[in-house]
Amino acid sequence: MAASTVKVAREWSGLALGVRRAVLRLPGLTQVRWSRYGPEYQDPQIDKEYYRKPLAQLTEEEKYERELRKTQVIKAAPATKTSSVFEDPVISKFTNMMMKGGNKILARSLITQTLEAVKRKQFEKYHAASAEEQATIERNPYTIFHQALKNCEPVIGLVPILKGGHFYQVPVPLADRRRRFLAMKWMITECREKKPRRMLMPEKLSQELLEAFYNRGPVIKRKHDMHKMAEANRALAHYRWW
Amino acid sequence: IMLKGMTRLVSRVHKLDPGRFLHLGTQAPQCLVAHLDNQVPTKSPRAISRTLENDPAKHGEQHVGQHYSISVQELKTAFPHGLPPRFALQVKTFNEACLMVRKPALELLHYLKNTNFAHPAVRYVLYGEKGTGKTLSLCHIIHFCAKQDWMILHIPDAHLWVKNCRDLLQSTYNKQRFDQPLEASVWLKNFKTANERFLSQIKVQDKYVWNKRESTEKGSPLAEVVEQGITRVRNATDAVGVVLRELKRQSSLGGFRLLVAVDGVDALWGRTTLKREDKSPIAPEELALIYNLRKMVKNDWQGGAIVLTVSQTGSLFKPRKAYLPQELLGKEGFDTLDPFIPILVSNYNPKEFESCIQYYLENNWLQHEKAHTEEGKKELLFLSNRNPGLLERLCAYL
Repeated sequence: MAASTVKVAREWSGLALGVRRAVLRLPGLTQVRWSRYGPEYQDPQIDKEYYRKPLAQLTEEEKYERELRKTQVIKAAPATKTSSVFEDPVISKFTNMMMKGGNKILARSLITQTLEAVKRKQFEKYHAASAEEQATIERNPYTIFHQALKNCEPVIGLVPILKGGHFYQVPVPLADRRRRFLAMKWMITECREKKPRRMLMPEKLSQELLEAFYNRGPVIKRKHDMHKMAEANRALAHYRWW
Repeated sequence: IMLKGMTRLVSRVHKLDPGRFLHLGTQAPQCLVAHLDNQVPTKSPRAISRTLENDPAKHGEQHVGQHYSISVQELKTAFPHGLPPRFALQVKTFNEACLMVRKPALELLHYLKNTNFAHPAVRYVLYGEKGTGKTLSLCHIIHFCAKQDWMILHIPDAHLWVKNCRDLLQSTYNKQRFDQPLEASVWLKNFKTANERFLSQIKVQDKYVWNKRESTEKGSPLAEVVEQGITRVRNATDAVGVVLRELKRQSSLGGFRLLVAVDGVDALWGRTTLKREDKSPIAPEELALIYNLRKMVKNDWQGGAIVLTVSQTGSLFKPRKAYLPQELLGKEGFDTLDPFIPILVSNYNPKEFESCIQYYLENNWLQHEKAHTEEGKKELLFLSNRNPGLLERLCAYL
């Protein structure tokens, strides 16, 4: 949408590098997301393999790039990004969305308990199943997680557009990041609201993830409802101008 | 000539260990293993994490780091009280109970095999940091004693008796003390399943009157006392006291060998979180179960051994980093237990760590693709610092 950070002509006033001062405002655009870093700050290189490459193997461009990075200022790497082999950006994003009040430890522990619960349930099924079915049962909690979220992503979304004093729900194609966000959001709200009183979050989440993996369950139903509404409002599609 | 050398080596190996796997180190001749296809199933020959030797009595130095399995039947008889919760989950998931053979347990087994039953019972205390494997080493010892037909007195966690008790009754036997009917009756039920065969042999040496209508005569089997405790829950704590006293008296006579295994023995001398109706705190000696257990842990009887564990995990009002017996038992506890043999249980050494990872890989527990690589193993080593408990929790979600 129009809420992305505005790229504005900066004024050098001889102050400390990177601090933003009075910014030009373009009419109709408001700056929503700020960053304390100026545009000359480069993103940190977290990948271990980049640094392990021996000097002899680097091409001319890479050597130039390394020399250049020695002179550039680099942003601090966030505490959540590690160079661990087990790191997964989808899981990180999901933990951030689960987090309440900055309690990342609790969110992370809930996610790890969920993955463990998913794994144990699949192992139970595996041991109970016959030889042919054993080949079809997926035991990796990470593949189940990714596939479940992918199955929950809606293809088309609805956006309220003001026309003639009324808001109409207009079907609109969604960007990739919006779809991923919606899938995760629906999963989390579903688990928080429809959870039985004494059931713990990891158990409910693992249940929902497994059902979404097999393309059934309430989150998939919500996705289908969204698709049906979009199909129903098909006539309003020409209200979209982008 | 190559072939002759091979066959000679093969025959030597066959003579050495009929039906056992040798742990081959990293420098082991891998070509030798490749020819033993009839013994070794299709696994990577570098580190073998399992052994077929399921009898703890025959475990020796060569089995250190290897897992041996306990059959479901033996689990029910030797561990009716249950295993530690995370291990019980693992047993349920893998459909098999596999314990790793480790040095502290082997040391203890050696001492137990060479005990002199005419001398007073020796006290062994397993201590170590959190998650190093004290409780599972205790389980290994209990399994050994069960196989050797000892009588097993196993208290799975003494901390559970000093906290979160819903119903405390004033004891019928002694007005100053308190009874815990629930815990006592549960313990008696499990004690019965563990030691069925002994209960009919041991005869009570005193007359015990439970109430106006019920009493146990002198000379009746111990099973009656246990039944009385299970059926009449109000007298369960006293039944436990009677059982402990009889066992202590009669083990010196030599009819059977007694193993007293208490996990979390520092609960006997610490503080409790239980309160009377007027909100004043209760000291542990005012609980009848604890009072009787303290008498059991004294070394004034012969004919068995006492194996104890001190752990901070369930303990009350002890700092998190405390793991030495002196810190956890306090002055009183340490003085009571004073001549004891301390056995340190530490983190895995590199061989045991490799073996543990291999065991998880064999059971397909490590599902993450990167966990199979060298990078992943190095990361697990770094994150867990070779601590068994931490490693288990890490591998659970990977």
